[in-house]
Parts: sequence; structure tokens; C-alpha cells
Amino acid sequence: MFALILPAFLVVAALLVGPMVLLARISLNEYSPTQLMVEATTAQNYLNAVADPYYRGVMGTTLVMAFTCTALTLALGFPAAYRLARMESRWKSLVTVLTLIPLLVGNVVRAAGWLGLLGNDGLINATLRGLHITASPLQLIYTPGAVAVGTIAVVLPYMILTLSSVIESIPRAVEEAAANLGASAFTVFRRVVWPLALPGTVAGCVLVFILCMNTYATAVLLGGSQFKMMAPAVYDQFSKGMNWPFGAALAFILLGATLVLTVLGTALLGRRYAR
Amino acid sequence: MGTLLLDGLTKRYGEATAVAGVDLDIRQGELVALLGPSGCGKTTTLRMVAGFIEPSAGRVVIGGRDVTRLPPYARDTGMVFQSYALFPHMSVADNVGFGLEMRKVGRAERDRRIAEALRLVRLDALADRLPRQLSGGQQQRVALARALVVSPAVFLLDEPLSNLDAKLRSEVGLEIRELQKRLGLTTLMVTHDQDEALAMADRLVVMEHGRVLQVGSAEDLYERPANTFVAGFVGRCNLLDGTREGADVFRLASGAAVPCAPDAAAAGGKLAIRPERIAVAPDPAGTGRLRAVTYLGARTEYHLELAGEAIVAVSPTPLPDDPRRRLAAGDPVRITWIPDAARVIPAAESPAR
Repeated sequence: MFALILPAFLVVAALLVGPMVLLARISLNEYSPTQLMVEATTAQNYLNAVADPYYRGVMGTTLVMAFTCTALTLALGFPAAYRLARMESRWKSLVTVLTLIPLLVGNVVRAAGWLGLLGNDGLINATLRGLHITASPLQLIYTPGAVAVGTIAVVLPYMILTLSSVIESIPRAVEEAAANLGASAFTVFRRVVWPLALPGTVAGCVLVFILCMNTYATAVLLGGSQFKMMAPAVYDQFSKGMNWPFGAALAFILLGATLVLTVLGTALLGRRYAR
Repeated sequence: MGTLLLDGLTKRYGEATAVAGVDLDIRQGELVALLGPSGCGKTTTLRMVAGFIEPSAGRVVIGGRDVTRLPPYARDTGMVFQSYALFPHMSVADNVGFGLEMRKVGRAERDRRIAEALRLVRLDALADRLPRQLSGGQQQRVALARALVVSPAVFLLDEPLSNLDAKLRSEVGLEIRELQKRLGLTTLMVTHDQDEALAMADRLVVMEHGRVLQVGSAEDLYERPANTFVAGFVGRCNLLDGTREGADVFRLASGAAVPCAPDAAAAGGKLAIRPERIAVAPDPAGTGRLRAVTYLGARTEYHLELAGEAIVAVSPTPLPDDPRRRLAAGDPVRITWIPDAARVIPAAESPAR
């Protein structure tokens, strides 16, 4: 068995762990406007990032966006996942594939589509003006709302498929038993389906939260220049600022925050129903 | 506590009819078993009573109240599921208490009734366990306690013994029956196992293709089956082709005349004789022939041929010095039965489709 795992292990080691170690090393270097990167061992980049109100704001925006999108995705995804899990007809596999269709379109192409819909001359504004409901265009694009909508559209399939596989493992008869004992549909959900689906809900939320924390293309293309999240900020340091050490530090702060919140969330929610 | 009335209960799925107008009246405290092969509509009928399937026509009346259009949670039935369907994330006590909680029974009263129900099924020592920590038999008793504790108007059992070891079955069946009698529960049970139904039920309902073929006590069904399907499904039965001639003579298709019960009811049909009502004796001048003999310990099976018809006879294994012990395949035998043991019954109708 080990021989079969080895190739995947080597690929991960060479292409993920290697660059990560390198990046970690870079984050401890110093930046000089003339020489760009100077060999050093200092935590100054991290301290600067944490002390800077601008980057604290960027981190705040990222966290608020990730939490909001995760919560909304769960609220939208759960009913859909339940319906999909309980489907018995021959259309079930077709519906499962349809759920995945949004993932066939790349993030940039999808963002271009949202521009056509939400832009000042986009479909919504054109329709509103055409019907004389508004005189001047509503600002839909380049808002946090546009980023949230665009992000949710990407991550929803992950949530639905994760949840539905867990809900499918809950026997129908268990729900029927609760109803037989006098539980209304909502009580059946609250007392039986929700607690039994919780491990899947945690897994789905973790997956979606990680994707949201690292949103790049959607944030840049639908958020506009005034809206900054962490992933674009990291990229800016590498490409525009040429400040690799600071960019690397930002990258590790993003990674660390995602990791800590994911582990905390899993531990807290996981323990609540674990017996 | 209550009675259960099914009135023309029907379920259609498009063109197919799963249940075709079932009428049934179950008295207070009576245990009635729906018996039939898979696909006969017995489970659909039970699920319509519980409210999980909406009938296409007909009524379900529990204790005089028409519940046909009520959701499952408003029907006051207590169901034991084939898979038990215990809540895996709740302790045994919480499983049993769920129905009481839904009925807003106070904490102290609830605890008292949970303890009482668990004592009834002898699980009081395991109240804090999770279902997965119990054996199959114990899980089933939790499911029983959970349904009983709310004192439902109607008790529903879906194949209650099918997931148990063969050894446990008759024991648990007897236990359920005793509980049901002691508590006076009006009960509808579904099973495909005739032994289970014969042992537990006051009355049996034999179903096929969504229709009720016969309703009666175990004895009614076994001694006086309404048609060939019931005769073949409840116990084993020899069914011989031919026509009736006179009051107590039946002429087999091959032309031989054999005795039959003087029953005015059926003119045509088949002659039904239970294997254990047929006597076999060695006789060089006998008209029958032994094709094979199977020694089964307590009983012996004789596979016979009489005037071209294959017949099975069963008898307690004769003592070692009995001449029947020396019978071997190919021997001529005398095959006899008393006329009352052979009844002419109509052939089962082919299903209307």
C-alpha cells in the first residue's frame, strides 16, 4: 500500500511543503527598497502587519465576509441538501450533476457574468431604468454584497454535496419514528435531523469557510478597488509592492487565522454532541 | 386505547394499485396480523394507518375519530419499526421519553413512566446506554418501550421479529403478545412469516395483490381456507385438480375417485388436503407409489404419487418396529384420509390488473 501512496506523498512534499517552508523563511527576511530582500531573521514583518490599522481592517473585512458567507451558504444549502438526499426518483443523479454545474465555470469568467448582471449598465439596472423605476443606476457592483453573492454562488455546491451525503446516512425511519411519537416537522428537524447531521454540517462549514477566507478573483473583480480582502493583499505585496517578506508574513497570518478558527470551530461544535 | 377501522382503504400509484379497498374492523385489545408475500400491500396499509402514506381513497378511523387526513404526529399511534429506528444520539431513557416530551409530560412524571416502561421490557439497568451499545434484541425492546410508554390508541408492529435470530424469535414474539394482552393494546401487525402470525394474532388477514383474501382466526385459515392461495400460504397444502362428483366424492383429473368432505359451498375448484392428514401404509395392492421418503427426526415426509398426482404426506416418525420404517422409494403404498380432511375450495382469482 505504501508504494501506492508514495507518488502522491512526493508530489505534496515537493509542491506544497517545499514552497511553504521557503515562504516561511522569506517572511523572516527584511525588505529594503533598493535591494528588495535582505537575508535576516526577524519577526518585524509580522509585528508590522498586526500593528498596521490598514491590514487589521483588511483582516476584519476578510473575517466578516467569510463568516457571513458561510452562515448564508449553510442556510441556503441545508434545505437543498435535505431535498437532494431524500430524492428517490431516477432524476437524483441528474440533480446531483446540476448542483456541480456552477463549478464548471472559472472564477474570472463567472465574475464577468456578474458584471453583466450587476453593472451600472447591467441587466438589472437596465431593466429598472427601462421600466422607469429608477432614474440613476443603483450601485450593485463593487460592493461587499456583490462579493458575498459571487462567493456564495461558488461555495454553495460544496456545502450541498457535503451535507446531502451526511443526511442520506440518516435513516428515513428515524424521522418517521419521531413523527409517530408526536413531533412536528420542525421538531423532527431540530431534535433528530440537525443533531445527526451535525458532523457533516461542521465539515461543510469548515470547507466553505476556508474557501471564503481565501477568496481572490471574486473579491478583486466584484469588490472593486476600495474593497480589500487578505488574498488580494498578499498578491499585491508580491507583484506590485515587490515586498516579498511582508507578503509572506501576510500569507502566514491568513493561514494561521484560518487554521485556528477551523480547529476551534470543529472542536467546539464537535464536542457538543459527541458522547 | 381504542378501536381501529379501515374503510375501503385504497392506494394507487399511477396505474398500479398497491392496496385495493381494504375493510377491517379491529376491536379494543385485539391483535390483528396482516399476512402476505412481499408486495401484497400489507406494509402500505400499515403506513397509511400511521400516516406516512396518504390514501387514494377510503378512511382510517381510530377510536371513532376519522384521522385519514391528519399528519402522523396527530394520530396517536405507537409504531415499532422493522429497523427499530431508535434515535442514535439519545440514551435509552431519552429514546423512551421522547414521546412523553412531545406530549408535554412533566419531568417527574416522565421519569416515572420511563422507568416503568423500561422495567416492563426488563431494561431498567441499561437506561443510560446509547442504542449502539445494545444487542439487537435489547434495541427491539427499547423500540417497544418507546412506543408503549405513550399509551397509544393503536399499536403498530412492522415485521417485529424479522431482524432477530431464529432462536430469539418465538421467545420475543411470546413476550410481545403477553405485553399486548396485559396492557389491552389494540394492535395491527404486519408480517410475511405465517408462523409469527399464527402464534401471535387473534385474527389474521391474508392479503395478495392489494386485496384481502380472507380474515379469520388461525384455525379458520388453516382448517377452512377460502381459496387455494390462502391454503398454500398458511401452512403446506396438497392441491389436487379435478371435479366434485356427488356429496363426498372427488374425481381427480386422471379419473381416479377419492373421498372429500360433504361441503355444499364449493362445486368446482381444487381438493385441498394438509400433508399431516394423510395416512400412508405399506400395501402391495395399494394404488399409490412412494417416490421418496425423508427422515427428519421427529417427523418423516413421504413424497407420493397417486393417480398421476404428486402428494406430500407428513407424519410423526413411526417407532422402529413399525412396518412404515422399512418403506423405500418405489414401494407400493395405500394412501388414505378421512373425508373431512379433504375440502374442495375455489382457485384463487388471478389479480385484476
